[in-house]
Amino acid sequence: MKIKTCVSAIALTTGLALGTAQASEWTLEKAAEPYAGTIVDVVFLLRPGYEAAEAMLPDFEARTGIKVNIVKHPYENALGQQVLDFVADGDFDIALIDLVWIGNFAENDWIVPVSKFTSNPDLADPELDMDDFFPLVLNAFGGWNGEVYGLPFDNYSGLMFYNDCMLKDAGFDGPPKTWSELKDVYGPALTKDGKYAFALQSKRNETQSADSFARMLWPFGGSFLDEDFRSNLLSKESQAGLNFRQDLMQYMPDGIVSYDHAETVNAFAQGDVAMITEWSAFYSSLKNPETSKVVDCMKIAPEPMGPAGRKPALGGFSLAVASQADEDEQAAAWLFIQWVTSKANALEYLERGGVPARRSVYAQDGIAEKFDFVPALVESWQDGVPEFRPRFAEWPEITEIVQEWGTKIMLGDVTTEEGARILGERMEAVLEEAGYYSGDKPLAQ
Amino acid sequence: MPATTSRSTIFAFLGPAVISLAVIGIVPLLYAFYTSLYFFNLTKLKNARFIWFENYGSVLTDPVFWEAMGRTFRLLLISLPLQIALGLVIALVLHRPGLGFLRVLTRLSLVLPMATTYAVVGLLGQVMFNQKFGVVNQLIGFLGVEPVNWIGDPFNAFAMIIFLDVWQWTPFVALVLLAGLTTVPGEVEEAARLETKNWWTILRHVQLPFLMPGLVAILILRTADTLKLFDMVFTLTRGGPGSSTELISLMIQRVGFRAFDQGVASAQAIILLIITIILAQLYIKLLYKEV
Amino acid sequence: MAAEPGTSRSLAAQIALMLIIILFCVFPFYWMVTTSLKTQVMALEAPPVWLFEPTFANYVTVLFEDGVLRTLINSLIVAVSTTTLAIMLGLPAAFALARFEFRGKKDLWFWFITNRMISPIVLALPLFLIVRNLGMLDSRITLILIYLTFNLPIVIWICTDQFRSIPYELDEAASLEGASQWRIFRSICVPLAMPGIAVSGIFAFIFSWNELMFALVLTRNNAKTAPAMAVSFMEGYNLPYGKIMATSTLIVIPVLIFALIASKHLVRGLTMGAVK
Repeated sequence: MKIKTCVSAIALTTGLALGTAQASEWTLEKAAEPYAGTIVDVVFLLRPGYEAAEAMLPDFEARTGIKVNIVKHPYENALGQQVLDFVADGDFDIALIDLVWIGNFAENDWIVPVSKFTSNPDLADPELDMDDFFPLVLNAFGGWNGEVYGLPFDNYSGLMFYNDCMLKDAGFDGPPKTWSELKDVYGPALTKDGKYAFALQSKRNETQSADSFARMLWPFGGSFLDEDFRSNLLSKESQAGLNFRQDLMQYMPDGIVSYDHAETVNAFAQGDVAMITEWSAFYSSLKNPETSKVVDCMKIAPEPMGPAGRKPALGGFSLAVASQADEDEQAAAWLFIQWVTSKANALEYLERGGVPARRSVYAQDGIAEKFDFVPALVESWQDGVPEFRPRFAEWPEITEIVQEWGTKIMLGDVTTEEGARILGERMEAVLEEAGYYSGDKPLAQ
Repeated sequence: MPATTSRSTIFAFLGPAVISLAVIGIVPLLYAFYTSLYFFNLTKLKNARFIWFENYGSVLTDPVFWEAMGRTFRLLLISLPLQIALGLVIALVLHRPGLGFLRVLTRLSLVLPMATTYAVVGLLGQVMFNQKFGVVNQLIGFLGVEPVNWIGDPFNAFAMIIFLDVWQWTPFVALVLLAGLTTVPGEVEEAARLETKNWWTILRHVQLPFLMPGLVAILILRTADTLKLFDMVFTLTRGGPGSSTELISLMIQRVGFRAFDQGVASAQAIILLIITIILAQLYIKLLYKEV
Repeated sequence: MAAEPGTSRSLAAQIALMLIIILFCVFPFYWMVTTSLKTQVMALEAPPVWLFEPTFANYVTVLFEDGVLRTLINSLIVAVSTTTLAIMLGLPAAFALARFEFRGKKDLWFWFITNRMISPIVLALPLFLIVRNLGMLDSRITLILIYLTFNLPIVIWICTDQFRSIPYELDEAASLEGASQWRIFRSICVPLAMPGIAVSGIFAFIFSWNELMFALVLTRNNAKTAPAMAVSFMEGYNLPYGKIMATSTLIVIPVLIFALIASKHLVRGLTMGAVK
């Protein structure tokens, strides 16, 4: 459960290695020269950060002669499509990695550690500056077992979006500081006349695991696993969190179990819900008068705290070079990844609707004022739980179990305790098979 | 009776179809069977190993699998009688003479649901059954009914699936039955009508025998299609909320392509295949007199 | 038939029922088309609006920016080719099943029909792995061949019945004049079986056009079909209902036109299938 901190060490050695290379002469154009005409295949999602990168792409292609072939998939298909491609030794040259897939991709050797490229002075940009990434983000999104594979690309933190006008009308000066305040004080006051205090996206897919289940586990001191990798879902703390979620549902719209991000954000944008905890990436659509009726009322705060502190949801994607690509494709892929996540491009990426993980860009003057989610975001990334959802190779199986039984608990098909017990048993069966209990596999998540 | 034909002629006629279907249909099945005997998880190919029939054991004892199977048959047992009853009414209405233009128009409109892409039906369901901006709630609102939470409530979501299945397939049933009705010889039907005005008597004693072949075909096709039903539910609810609309095909897809446990998914698929074949044999043996 | 007692009350009931049937069938379709003409904000308006100024922006976007046009062309190529192939392979087989006597005929017929009943999920992954090994992923030919698994059975099923309904005396007469089986098949039986062939062709086309599962697993960019495309707009982040409905309309319209034109055959063919 210890946060791996080898990241900065690698970054440091990288920096030293680069110092000796002819740093002053490195340009993207020159580095790309041998790879002009190479085609690089990558999966993109249909989300703002990808649109931003796509809009910036012509510049990269013009400068390098490398062609980036984007295959668009909705999130729900992205993992399946990539796994099928990798097991079949397919075409993707870059892996798009949600933080919960990193263990899986790394353990299958589908991706290449960045050190292969950072140690190559022909390919490594002297301005790469790995230390500029938020360490939590780089470690959680791109790192596994002390090795960095991916560079953070499309980055999220859970934030609380609240409708200040509705809160003011109900007599509140600001957002709730804690989850129990949200439920006990704000909940009853704001749930009336067909409006609801809160909405927690809980649809049976990754949303249930990440946005709903885990979000209620950690602030109450709960977790998926204990130190021995046994289920911790029956612990007092985990149960408290899950029961809290059950209790909070009375202040949420009916059918919350079928709400995905789109429905939740829309309910907030229509002014039907006073508060949501959502990914930072929704900022741009909630600020857009064409999709939101609450542009002027919307304010942003960090997620509320629980008895165990503030444990905001952590999620996001890194890009890594795929090992199935040949050497030229790997080099071209690296140049693209390095370019799109670079310090120099961070501002443009941000302004086009992406959320970079570069510390330097948020430190610039005026950024916090222009993008009012920035202070809460930066605060959330100071300190978080990388294993908010365990990132090991077994997550794709375990998340299916969490999704199934998490929604069953919410619907009242089973009690919180019974559901957590079954969930735990099934989760342990997967971990048993994986060899964690026999000592075949180190307990890393 | 047809005469005997030389083997080479028979082979010339049958060979191409048999060979192509064998290659495309049987080879993957054998492969699926082979996979089902392995621990075979796409994300853990390093651990792949032969485990005999262990996957079958765990599928057969998994209550979730049987719940999905039960749900699938529940859908079949509710929606098929509805489709046959409604389809029969439509067929009888269209079989009555007169109103030529309106009849043609009705018959043409029946083609619409049948031809609509199954995945699109689910997408359309999302738009029409949305609790807030869906037109279904608006329409029942005119009748004074409170907005119904269709997609988010387990019971309602299942009802919605039944509704859409009935919408899509009743026209097919109606057209098949209409076709059957037109095969009743005119003089037989007229003679019967002179004797009684009771439509039920006519249906039961005169028309039903001519409807039987069509009904059998409907039974076989609808059973198979319900066991296969995937697209519409996938685009509409993805099996949710909870597991309330997770039919057997959705479950196998989830295990095989989302949890990537291809060994278990293949075992589930083989079991589904066996159930399908038994049912088809049963239907054909009991009801289909041809061949 | 004219003897039917057309009392005004039963006439009114008949008209009312037909209008209800038409409404029931057409309304969802109408709703799909109108939603596709709305902007995103309008599409999400609660309660839904019935009268609005239509915009074709969704169509322009999906056709020319999102590449739906290419997927429609793919769907068309795949559906037409697989239907043609299924008829070419299936007709002789159906003829053999209807006309020749041989051992295991019943089992063979049953095996053909069973293929129609296999859930595509059973075949999807093995096919993926096999096709990948052959280097034929994301190719239209792959889909054309795989769709034979459900098209061949339907052609064989319907056409066997059709051939059987053709009087055997015609064959015998030709046979006495020295015609080969192939000639009998081609010159006598196929022309007479046209209605059945048309119906099986229509069904094969509709089934192929609408297929989703194989298209999802086996295609990526080049051979992606229209249903697979429609599904790919379903990102939990943002549901562009106007665009989704525009794509849906574009998918449904061609097959609908086809089915409407052929609807006469459809009923006649179904009649044929029912004649036993």
